[in-house]
Amino acid sequence: MTATGGPEPRDRARPGEATPAGVTRTGAAPAGDGPVTDLAAQLALVARGDTPAFDAVFEQLGPSVFGVVKRVIRDLAQAEEVTQEVLLEVWRTAAKFDASRGSPTAWVMMMAHRRAVDRVRSVQKESERERRTATADIPYDMVTEAVESSLDRERVRRCLNSLTELQRESVTLAYYRGYTYGQVASLLGVPTGTVKTRMHDALIRLRDCLGVGQ
Amino acid sequence: MKSKLTRAGARDAHTLAGAYAMDAISGPDREQFERHLAGCAECAQEVASLLEATALLAAAAAEPMPAGLKDRVMTAAAATRQQPPADEAEAGPGARRQQARAARWLRSLAWPGRLALAAGTAAVAIVLAVAVVFGVSDGSMHQQLGQAQASSQQIAMVMTARDAVMMNGQVTGGGTATIVVSTSRHALVFTAQGLRALPSSRGYELWLIGPDGTRPAGMLPAGAGRMAGPVIASGLRQGDHLALTAEPAGGSGHPTTPMMLDVTL
Repeated sequence: MTATGGPEPRDRARPGEATPAGVTRTGAAPAGDGPVTDLAAQLALVARGDTPAFDAVFEQLGPSVFGVVKRVIRDLAQAEEVTQEVLLEVWRTAAKFDASRGSPTAWVMMMAHRRAVDRVRSVQKESERERRTATADIPYDMVTEAVESSLDRERVRRCLNSLTELQRESVTLAYYRGYTYGQVASLLGVPTGTVKTRMHDALIRLRDCLGVGQ
Repeated sequence: MKSKLTRAGARDAHTLAGAYAMDAISGPDREQFERHLAGCAECAQEVASLLEATALLAAAAAEPMPAGLKDRVMTAAAATRQQPPADEAEAGPGARRQQARAARWLRSLAWPGRLALAAGTAAVAIVLAVAVVFGVSDGSMHQQLGQAQASSQQIAMVMTARDAVMMNGQVTGGGTATIVVSTSRHALVFTAQGLRALPSSRGYELWLIGPDGTRPAGMLPAGAGRMAGPVIASGLRQGDHLALTAEPAGGSGHPTTPMMLDVTL
């Protein structure tokens, strides 16, 4: 067992056993995320078509899905639409969740963020997006946003503030606004190689600061 | 297969792990990096660990969901086939342990709690109705949904629409049609049960009849047994009726036989 672990050790590689990547981590559940065991177990039940379990997963992860999707897409109606798609995708593909590859939260948020990003990149013309943004503006910069006393938010805010300014801006623009590293580079006026590296360093620092995924 | 990237190239690809974990990477780059990931366990592990960090970035953005969203998702879930798991023979230890945990969790959950979760919302009635209409017991429907994911998503879009309305109609000559209409999506989902079988040279065709005339809205799949559809018809306009006629198997440009169904949408 590595490090301090969460409430429950996540599936680990048995010695000598061929396993996929990412198996040496212990419970990466953030505080306030609820017991990992429950969420993973609930997903397993969802895979069997268990509606109450889906309800529970929905309650736990729905607000994060909606929040991140809305931050990227900004337009409320579209954000709702994509949130529905993501949660339906969780229902549809629950059987594909593999606890040895990461936490349920990471699995679901990856789907949510990718769908949101794909939506703004493919469907919306840039001008239209700007127009919508103008009418449905939401403060996106979580660092300056007045946030509630949620433990998660507090930790994330603290860890984001521990980054260099370029790192923080790269992460904020990429993750919360859905920009590619190329777009971030031109926004910030730095070479793409620099942005790639900063993003990589920033996430490693965040990961370590947050105490997840190690 | 190991990547053919040079040492410098591999380093470069490795650096992309951060951008990849934040989806800050566009189509071709993403595909290339995913090919690299497939052959680089270390990179995959790194990406997985970075995704735990980005998951917290998402959690920090959490906010209350709009009213009604949950009911719509639950309704759509009831009409959506789930993907099967990996074959047991190939299932890894993770999957088996996960199942064991699920069983423990299930046993630990008291019945009253589960019942409380299951009951209590008005949406339950809709969920049940949808489940019946869209054939939880009907294999062919599930198969079609499974095969045509795009269509299934379109159907889900209609089913989850805030303004989705379900209606029924009797088909002249036998059978019942069930239609879920969403005005905001400009679309409807049509299914029918117990339609009279037609000779193979003919098929059922749907029509949208509005103030501006009659538009073909799709053929029902040929050879469907007891249950026909679901078929999605889009491009709905204000004041449309939905009609059904029997036409040559290839479809017609306009109805050539008497209407067997006429529903005001």
